[in-house]
Amino acid sequence: MANYRWRDSPDVIARLVNADKIQTFRTQEVLLKPNEACAFIVDGRIGDILTETKISSLAGGFSRWVGDQLGMTADDRRLLFAMTGPMDYWVPFEGNLANGEMAKGYANLRMKLNTDNVPKLLNWFANNSPILTRDGVISILKDELHGRVVTPCLASCASGNDLRGADFLERFEMTTEMEMRNLLSNLGFTLLKAFPITNPTDMELVERHRAKIEAQMEGDSINLEAQKAEFANKEALTLQRIEMETNVARAHARGQVTVQLEHELKALRAEEAKWAAELERDRGQVALAQEDREHASNVRIDEADAKSTRAMDMFKQVQDRKAERISNQQNFQNQRMENQNEVQVKMMEMAKDAGALTPEVMAEFLRQQTQQKAVDSDNPAPAPQGSNCGCGTALQPGWKACPNCGSAIV
Amino acid sequence: MIGTPIDVLPYIRGVQLILEGYHGYTKDKRIENDALVRGEIVRASVRVRSHMQNIFDSEFKRDNMELARAAKQCMEECDLLAEDVGKAPGGMEHAFFSGQRSPSKKDLKNLIKHDHDVIEMVTKATNIANSAEHSIATEDGNTLQFIKQTTQKVSSCRGFFGARANILKGLKTKKK
Repeated sequence: MANYRWRDSPDVIARLVNADKIQTFRTQEVLLKPNEACAFIVDGRIGDILTETKISSLAGGFSRWVGDQLGMTADDRRLLFAMTGPMDYWVPFEGNLANGEMAKGYANLRMKLNTDNVPKLLNWFANNSPILTRDGVISILKDELHGRVVTPCLASCASGNDLRGADFLERFEMTTEMEMRNLLSNLGFTLLKAFPITNPTDMELVERHRAKIEAQMEGDSINLEAQKAEFANKEALTLQRIEMETNVARAHARGQVTVQLEHELKALRAEEAKWAAELERDRGQVALAQEDREHASNVRIDEADAKSTRAMDMFKQVQDRKAERISNQQNFQNQRMENQNEVQVKMMEMAKDAGALTPEVMAEFLRQQTQQKAVDSDNPAPAPQGSNCGCGTALQPGWKACPNCGSAIV
Repeated sequence: MIGTPIDVLPYIRGVQLILEGYHGYTKDKRIENDALVRGEIVRASVRVRSHMQNIFDSEFKRDNMELARAAKQCMEECDLLAEDVGKAPGGMEHAFFSGQRSPSKKDLKNLIKHDHDVIEMVTKATNIANSAEHSIATEDGNTLQFIKQTTQKVSSCRGFFGARANILKGLKTKKK
């Protein structure tokens, strides 16, 4: 027993097989998977529709040949195989939007054949080849889909942007569901899902180009900015390097100058120290000389002061002696006067007693007394005016000696 | 051989009202019964989808997008349910070679009860979908509510049917 393969390509959707044409010595069997179905059309009537099973004695074999020869089998036996699982069909379309833009793309229709609906494919096989492929299905659907679904849906879009909206997708699916039902039902298909995939429109291509150019310009601008920033960075770095080198050179020069200046300063300071030492020495010498001079002056002054002091002391002694002498003279005169007065008083008393006290006596007495007083009060001769001592000191009248040098005044 | 549990007979009768050839997974009929149940669920989902399709067409033409959108969603849910059921595991014929252990009474009981419940649920969904379409005709204003209830039922049915795989999965390990 041999396995019969009804499907030799993934694009085959269904196949109508005339079992009478399978003439082999070996009986044929076919295995139907869960997504495959087989409808029997025997003598023009639709028989069983099988799936998930193995069909034995499909065709060929000696017994069937004998049955045919004896007229014990059906006159016409056809087997309609079909794929019942969901399959995608891409139907190309193109149309115009409301604004005149051309929209191209594909409409994806996901459809399945219900097992019970497999015999409906006979509607198609009646006038077509016994093999139905995806392209065959698409060619059946294309015109009707274009006229009933694509054109109205595209016409409802104002621009290319509307093609991308969820509303358009939903409306497209619903329109397909409703408008394509008649055709799909006639073929036994059930529409599961439908959605369009549109290529970019001309305006969208223009927009894309514009966006691309803008992005490129933006990129160029960014690159330019980056390059400018890089150049600025390099410039800043170069300037900073130059400034650093300058600073280093300046610092180096400054260091050299500093060293030189310090050297010179050191020399100057040495010179200054030398000068200061010399100045100090000179000052010392001057101070010493000054000190000597001051000492000498002091000595002279001291000497002069000593002489003056001695002169003043001597003068004071003289004055004291003079005052003492004068006092003594005064005392002596006073005493003499007192004695004289006493004598005169006694004389007067005696004259009184003697009755000799006449006015003449009195007048004589007063005259003598006055003379006496005049004699008593008579002063020595004054010293000559404007004379100077040998030391240069001016001498006053009455001085017996020079108060400065102590020499006696003649 | 393990016989059909007696306490699930009411469930078998209930399923048989809808599926004439259903025998509760008797020997040599298990895959056939499984295919019957799954086929019924798919057919029910197609019925629900058909109702929703009518609602969708009607409301989309009236530009009532809210109802149209809800109906479309329900249709997609029906498609998913049909796909789930169509591609669900169905178990193996020969337990000895497959690595499965033979189903116990408890397994059969669970499967039968589950089939009954799923069919009941999807039948309810069909009834609600029918009510939704009727509501469109009478314009009583409950259409959206019915559509959403239908969607919820179909959704629940998808989830509930998934539990069937768990029951079948329990057969995959032989007990020693």
